[in-house]
Amino acid sequence: MDDHALVARLEKYVRARLPGEHAPRVVALERSTEGFSQETFIFDVETSAGRRAFVLKREPLAGLLEPYDLEPEFRVLHALSSDPLPSPPTPWLERDPIVLERPFYVMERLPGDVPIPAPGPDGSGPFDDAERATLAPEVIGALARLHTIDWRAYGLDFLGDPGPGRAAATRELQRWEARIDATGLPLDPPLAEALGWLRTHVPETPDVTLVHGDYRLGNFLVTRTPGAARLTGVLDWEMVHLGDPLEDVAWCISPLWRGGTSFASGLVPPDDFVARWVEASGIASDDARLHFYGVLAIVKMAAIMLTGLRAFRDGRTHDLRMAIFDHQLPYLYLLLGMMRGWLGGF
Amino acid sequence: MQLAVEALLDGVMQTLRQAVLPAVQGRFARGQLFAALDVLQNLRDRVEPKVAFDESEAASASDALTHALDALGPDLGAPLARALAEAPSGPPPERAAALRAALVGAFALLDRLPADVAAPARAALAKHLAAQAMRDVAMLKPSLLQEISTGISKG
Repeated sequence: MDDHALVARLEKYVRARLPGEHAPRVVALERSTEGFSQETFIFDVETSAGRRAFVLKREPLAGLLEPYDLEPEFRVLHALSSDPLPSPPTPWLERDPIVLERPFYVMERLPGDVPIPAPGPDGSGPFDDAERATLAPEVIGALARLHTIDWRAYGLDFLGDPGPGRAAATRELQRWEARIDATGLPLDPPLAEALGWLRTHVPETPDVTLVHGDYRLGNFLVTRTPGAARLTGVLDWEMVHLGDPLEDVAWCISPLWRGGTSFASGLVPPDDFVARWVEASGIASDDARLHFYGVLAIVKMAAIMLTGLRAFRDGRTHDLRMAIFDHQLPYLYLLLGMMRGWLGGF
Repeated sequence: MQLAVEALLDGVMQTLRQAVLPAVQGRFARGQLFAALDVLQNLRDRVEPKVAFDESEAASASDALTHALDALGPDLGAPLARALAEAPSGPPPERAAALRAALVGAFALLDRLPADVAAPARAALAKHLAAQAMRDVAMLKPSLLQEISTGISKG
């Protein structure tokens, strides 16, 4: 389906959902380069009251987190629409492929840009000192808020409470091992070593919380004014689940997302991030658990990359961004070696 | 590396044809794009990966597995000895792949042994992992992730 057909079908869909508006028009539809997983489109709707900005997320034909199911993230975002957490109001989910060929959901577009986890043109990080000073407390505060949400009260039990003890960590480890297995690609020795270690170091989770699953630089929507940066939205909830909050903390402070700096998600030193999250959330941290989830973070990333590589190799996607993972994996194994201790420097 | 050179080139050609070409308007630029496709489709069957990478990986892996076998002894290390013996002597990509699989098997074996028994063998394998990680990274070019994510050129 080309973009003209997409606009026409989307317009018909939107008109049915904005009954009070006279012939709202879909304009300025554009495919986003951000987001390596779902297909993302940004568009505006012209109404009698002016323009409203939206984002549409559609299941890809093949992608990094296949098989896809948009419903859990939609239900979470929809449920959190009234929460102070800066998540985008998400009004519509469409499962019927007759509308846009594949399931999709629509959320309101919040102001801001998404700084990505790569060094800038001059090798600098994504934020200057003043921006870090204003943005870091908001990012840490939002994560703490996310982890203290009463998920039962929001009706998020459907995500599946793993229960007490080692169940949360076991489930996550099994989930990512299964993804690696599903690629059918030969297991690389560094991954085999890490998986063996993870299996014998599964920690207990004292309190099950909502876990974003992909909370990190690259999924923060940020506005900038001179001398300040503000968090306006937390994006990409595809990996949302119930589990150990330290999984999110470890992911966010992982070397994967430092954007050319030594800072967690380009914001603050990792130890500071953890200490401030502990203070904001009232949840205790634990070095051994944090390390487990730190190693798991690299394994998760490897699983995601291998899934993309398999889809590319099979010809199910021609998105060359999947192919670049073939030469990103060695960097990942370098990090894994540092975290696991078989390579010095971490 | 998980992708064969042919698969990579096929993917590049598909993307150029299906995703890039329709968005390019200028006739000169379109002509250049067709020329790039022409070069790539003729290049596809003429390129081979450098075997030197596989040879150095295989030599290092074989050495590590031999040291691990020595550390474990013939009884505990029997699966390692078997995997080493069964690894083909060539061609280099196949030998390297077989030894990679042997390393995966070796880690599975060590995971089942008491930590103190496994430690010397694990150290031998770890030395190879470190050396191989450095070799793999050394051949990579600076990442264009910023440009890939934003579609905007740095320079």
